[in-house]
Amino acid sequence: MASVSATFVSFGCSFNQTKCITAGKNCTISLGMRNRTLTAVRFPRLRVSCSAKPETVTKVMEIVKKQLALNDDVPLKPESKFSELGADSLDTVEIVMIMEEEFGITVEEDNSQSITTVQEAAELIDKLVAAKPDQPASESEQKSEAIS
Amino acid sequence: MLRLFRRDMLGCTVSRRLSTACSPLPPTPLPHHREVHLWYIKPEEINDSSSQLKHYMDLLSPSEKRDVSSLSGQRLQKNAILARALTRTTLSRYCDGRVDPGSIRFRKGLYGKPEIMWQDGDNIIKPPLQFNLSHTSSLIACAVALETSIGIDVEENKRQTVKSVLAVARRYFTVSEVEYLAAIPYPDIQQKEFIQLWTLKEAYVKAIGRGFSGAPFKNFTIEMGSDKRAPKMHIEADSDCEGLADNCQFALLELNSSHVVAVCMERDQEISGDENNLLRLKVWRTIPLIEDELVSGTETVNYICGLC
Repeated sequence: MASVSATFVSFGCSFNQTKCITAGKNCTISLGMRNRTLTAVRFPRLRVSCSAKPETVTKVMEIVKKQLALNDDVPLKPESKFSELGADSLDTVEIVMIMEEEFGITVEEDNSQSITTVQEAAELIDKLVAAKPDQPASESEQKSEAIS
Repeated sequence: MLRLFRRDMLGCTVSRRLSTACSPLPPTPLPHHREVHLWYIKPEEINDSSSQLKHYMDLLSPSEKRDVSSLSGQRLQKNAILARALTRTTLSRYCDGRVDPGSIRFRKGLYGKPEIMWQDGDNIIKPPLQFNLSHTSSLIACAVALETSIGIDVEENKRQTVKSVLAVARRYFTVSEVEYLAAIPYPDIQQKEFIQLWTLKEAYVKAIGRGFSGAPFKNFTIEMGSDKRAPKMHIEADSDCEGLADNCQFALLELNSSHVVAVCMERDQEISGDENNLLRLKVWRTIPLIEDELVSGTETVNYICGLC
């Protein structure tokens, strides 16, 4: 089931402001309404505009492209929204599960609700990989590179 | 009983619409109490580059057109146009021929659920319609009810998941739902029951206006129905039950032996007993402004549970 104007489901909810502000001192924070589209409309939320690692973004794109069976001619960008690529909620949960397996992480419900784009997924993955208790930063970076 | 409406050539219909600014669609009586009207399109019945599709695009508002353009790929754009055209033409059917489908305005609820926004000052009836839309790549459906909030979800009944259905269920469903699915010995039946349970849960979160992100599936259990017994839901004891309604009723049907459709409607609080237990249903296959076919009561529609 595609979700463009059909369901308004996918991941996205009011963002945890505390987590956002402490995400990184080099990140810019902007406040405002998300664009109202036929898909998900959310509360006003803080969006952290920091970049995920390019290799993480690439890997997420590969997962999304495979899950949604996208042709090569479908433009896929970091800011691409899952819903605009034709993902319904079942596609999105499968994408999250595949990401969890590929990166060895667990996405909690409140985190998964904030993922609506490739970029957001990659940022969350990087954050969770770095936060793994038995993975010092350098080792987790190497593992991310190895996976991609 | 089958009724077939053949419309004029679409060009004539559109020009009449433009000159009289009224709906060219045959008026449809409002749904009865506890009745759901379901209208669906099969995208394969409309050519990709046909004038029909262009005329449907003309019905959309400027912001809807922009949203369509932002979608990736021709198929998604076509289905988005059809979905919006289906919604607009369906709703205008219940306005006694006095509302142009292109003139209807919508707003979003708190979690993004589309709602009709009748305009003040219009010299029209404003029926208290509730509606909800769902689509797969191969079928787009719009359900309409009177006054009570409604949610629907459509899936191809043979949809396969990349992960095993039990893995997805363990991740997102409740313990009792996982136990129910795990007890099914045959994989193909297990897959089918998973899809049915998924659509019922989707229909519920859409009926209550929250969507998947606003009402995590682990917070409520749906118990599958059988024959004439409707599915039932209850809120999980340890869940964050804010915003979850426990007064909804459910129905499940199959269309064309290819798609499963779940319907969820708020229950009428004032009526108790069995008469409030089963929903009534009417189903039309449509090519809006071209052809309508009442298919309920035919082999096209197979009731699974919750319907009378």
